[in-house]
Amino acid sequence: MAERTGRRKLSEAWFAWMLVAPAILFIAVIVAWPLAETIRLSFMEADLGGEEFVGTANYTDLLDSRNFHETVVRTFYWMFLSVGLKLILGLIGATLLNAAIPGRALFRVLVMPPWVIPIAIGCIGWLWLYNGYFGLLSGLGQRLGILDGPFEFLAYKQSAFYSAIVTDVWVGTPMVTLFLLAAMQGVSRDLYEAAWVDGAGRWYRFRRITIPQIMPVIVSMALLSAIWTFNSFEIIWILTEGGPRGATTTLIVDTYKTAISNYKFGEGAARAVIIVILLALFSLIYLFFLNKVNRKYGVK
Amino acid sequence: MATLDLENISKSFGPAKVLHDIDLAIRDKEFVVFVGPSGCGKSTLLRIIAGLEETSAGRIVIEGRDVSREDPVDRGISMVFQSYALYPHLTVFENIAFPLRVQKMTQDEVSQRVARAAEILQLTDKLPLKPGQLSGGQRQRVAIGRSIVREPKVFLFDEPLSNLDAALRGDMRVELSQLHRALNATMVYVTHDQVEAMTMADRIVVLNGGRVEQFGSPMELYHHPATKFVAGFIGQPNMNFVPGTVADASGGGVAIDTVDGARLVLPVDTAGVSTGDAVEIGIRPEDVRLGDGLDLNIRVLERLGGVSIAHGALSDGTRFCASLDGNARIEEGVPVGLTVDPACAHVFKADGTVLRRQAAPALVA
Repeated sequence: MAERTGRRKLSEAWFAWMLVAPAILFIAVIVAWPLAETIRLSFMEADLGGEEFVGTANYTDLLDSRNFHETVVRTFYWMFLSVGLKLILGLIGATLLNAAIPGRALFRVLVMPPWVIPIAIGCIGWLWLYNGYFGLLSGLGQRLGILDGPFEFLAYKQSAFYSAIVTDVWVGTPMVTLFLLAAMQGVSRDLYEAAWVDGAGRWYRFRRITIPQIMPVIVSMALLSAIWTFNSFEIIWILTEGGPRGATTTLIVDTYKTAISNYKFGEGAARAVIIVILLALFSLIYLFFLNKVNRKYGVK
Repeated sequence: MATLDLENISKSFGPAKVLHDIDLAIRDKEFVVFVGPSGCGKSTLLRIIAGLEETSAGRIVIEGRDVSREDPVDRGISMVFQSYALYPHLTVFENIAFPLRVQKMTQDEVSQRVARAAEILQLTDKLPLKPGQLSGGQRQRVAIGRSIVREPKVFLFDEPLSNLDAALRGDMRVELSQLHRALNATMVYVTHDQVEAMTMADRIVVLNGGRVEQFGSPMELYHHPATKFVAGFIGQPNMNFVPGTVADASGGGVAIDTVDGARLVLPVDTAGVSTGDAVEIGIRPEDVRLGDGLDLNIRVLERLGGVSIAHGALSDGTRFCASLDGNARIEEGVPVGLTVDPACAHVFKADGTVLRRQAAPALVA
């Protein structure tokens, strides 16, 4: 009897493993193995010719490099500025779309294109806008007398960086808007009516009801958006390839240039590992923060 | 003097007219309950008083002042919602204090008023908690607290007890009645539950299809329903309606032949009926006793202890319910005879209006 139960337990365990096996296999192939391989590579001097173990040399080189420090700072600056703008614009957009205005269904659809059309197509459109000779922005600037000649937005360090931010915000805002809109629609109408009966005006209701009620979504959205923005590659690559003179090179672009363009697989891998560590730390802090927000705003 | 007058209130949502010329005069310190089935317009009427909906026509007058076009906050009303509408991110204290914060009242005044409201509602030890940590009844009390601190002229309640379980609802009914006495304020209360209406109201407004069917005290509605609708709505279990034909309307009452074959002579006004008219006799389940008269075939018997409710049908198939003695010797499937006290019966004409009863049972000392 005892033997039989033991056997059944064993077969149950096997069955359970069989059920999760596809998922485990998937994670192993897609996540675990590449991660392990990247970590291994980061301790190698590796190129097309072969590999050679160099210990922590790739890391110490990076930590000593002023360029790399600048890239890290630039990446975080890029991330905070872009995410901040996306959240502010998303919040304004969601509030407007949530208002009882005629034709809001149409506006809700019109918000989508930047998100829906392929990023590459959108970015090529922005490339034209930023072009100094036939671009809309340069032309408009000259017409209005702000510019005294053709201005190539992507050719100068500062203007290239902020132009890339504008494009990134343009691509990323619709999704933030729609998520915040969904959250706003989840807020009970009774809360607003109760506040209105008590004399709370629009701004007061927005501040004291809407914002606290959707705070958990704002925070979650900020985290997701931050990770995507941190890792955003296509937009920068299509617009500037990280230039001019590294002005738009974020960590992810730097990693690509090192590993793929220059065939320095080992150094690229070291950068990738640092990205993973930085994002993991960032996410940890964030989750801690999210937990606090959820507790504060009454979400169980 | 917080009187509330509704003058010819009409409301349409697009082509659908939901309220038809509502005219009500609610007195100072009165507890008035709007009752009716869902969709009768009672909540809409309350929301119109609150200022959450605009009227299509008519005036709302509070304390002699026309407030029809004013914002809710300027009307001197406060409202308690069915869902409680508490702010989940604020503590009980801040929830109650919310209207005062909007008014930018000083912290001292806020603390004082919240403390007083919390004391009345026995919430003092709950003030630091969040609504999520409270039971349904406590949440409802917080919502009431929020309306008390504003010291409004008129309190509005929109089905405040619907989300509570039966036992708690009973307790809260008593508490609300006590609160009404303590605050000495005019209150308008919406419910679909006729028990709440009967137990709490000074006067009840019965609404049906956006029209006032009757406005009167609970006992008036019970003993003198103006229409068949009111008669069927007020009273538990519901009134029975037995079809019949007027056999004689010339004497001091109306003689009616029921389909059952029985003849009842009822002391009601004879104006407006003549021999041969189809009428319905309204008989409350509690106004019959075992005896001769109607034959009831009992299908389901509910023994509640104090009373036994017998559900069944008369010999012609008319559904009938009788509320009999708790220990009555009756059984499911066994027919019994029922005697109707003619003084307690009601007669309704085909259009649903009542023939006035000549006498009604007075309250027993």
